Amino acid sequence: MVKNLKNYKEEFKDIPGTRVFTTELARKGYHLNQFCMSLMKPENRKEWLADEKAYLDGWKVTAEQRDALLARDYNRLLELGGNIYYLAKVFSTDGLSFVQAVSTMTGMSVDDYKAMMDAGGRSPDGVRSIKEGT
Amino acid sequence: MAKISAGVATSHVPLIGVGVDQGKQDEAYFKPIFAGYEWTKEWIKKPETKPDVVVLVFNDHASAFGQDIIPTFAIGCGEEFSPADEGWGPRPVPTVKNHPDLAWHIAQSLIIDEFDMTIINEMDVDHGLTVPLSAMFGQPEEWPTLVVPIMVNVVTYPIPSGDRCFRLGQAIKRAVESFPEDLNIQIWGTGGMSHQLQGPRAGLINAEWDQKFLDDLTADPERLCQIPHIEYLRETGSEGIEMVMWLVMLGALTNPKELHRHYHVPASNTALGHIVLENNP
Repeated sequence: MVKNLKNYKEEFKDIPGTRVFTTELARKGYHLNQFCMSLMKPENRKEWLADEKAYLDGWKVTAEQRDALLARDYNRLLELGGNIYYLAKVFSTDGLSFVQAVSTMTGMSVDDYKAMMDAGGRSPDGVRSIKEGT
Repeated sequence: MAKISAGVATSHVPLIGVGVDQGKQDEAYFKPIFAGYEWTKEWIKKPETKPDVVVLVFNDHASAFGQDIIPTFAIGCGEEFSPADEGWGPRPVPTVKNHPDLAWHIAQSLIIDEFDMTIINEMDVDHGLTVPLSAMFGQPEEWPTLVVPIMVNVVTYPIPSGDRCFRLGQAIKRAVESFPEDLNIQIWGTGGMSHQLQGPRAGLINAEWDQKFLDDLTADPERLCQIPHIEYLRETGSEGIEMVMWLVMLGALTNPKELHRHYHVPASNTALGHIVLENNP
């Protein structure tokens, strides 16, 4: 198998609208993602919902991560090292399904997103490569 | 001796579990999803096919493991595994029972065979493992098979290559076939097919690519082993990468023959794929 040691991470950046959870994002998002994991416990969810800002004071998240969390800006959270399976703990606590939460990242309404999925999903044509425009 | 009789692969979309747990199989949205499992449910019940043990390849979705420990390949050797609380309470499904003697034997064999597995005794198992069981067995009091869990990191990059996963499957085959107890073993690969759960490109589905992948499980396994991560990501969405776990299953099979196939879009955000392969050593 051809090994791409040098540009392994680089070529991921060529995929439009996609953030691959690379080592640098895992490094950046560690405390953010571990905060998300804490919401697996019912007592923590209760505390988080009662006072989000106070709850976040107990976590070493950056100011940017904190703002993005409070704003539920999932595209920004991905950029700041959040991983979708971890962020799912936040939107599940809000009572959102994957379809509802994921649609917020696409700029589409939930209904339009659902209609797209029912019609066979988003075509890969035109969203494979930024460089190639294919 | 223990023998691998078949490989089964399926998507492990949480929604399949919701459909089973909440009895929604007959609703219009769910009907075509579940129709494609009917064949397998009958097949797997037959005395000549029913597995004693399933070696089940899956990934954890930030349920049992956070970012504190990230094993690339792990094997569950504990006696049993409870369904995980994924944030809305554990699924109402039976505890998963292992065959610990077989699991420890596989762990030993794999490590001697140069796959440096993480050994896990305590672990709750999430939809990645329990949804495939529900899809094949419905809602029994106890799962009708023992399960050896094999966990693959497909979340934090770099994840293992498809080729490495295939070779892990080959090593699992060697491990199973050197276990002295007479057991009918199936190997299951789970996850996929095309889907992307994040970013502005979310909702991506590539049915053509998926169908070719299903074809080549029997027609051209060599091609599948050489697919680089970037192709999965571009063509099948960021979460389509889970399909490398199907290659662990494939590596454990010899001259696989396709018995049954199911493909349906959508199951929530995902292209659902399912295939049953007979092993012909």
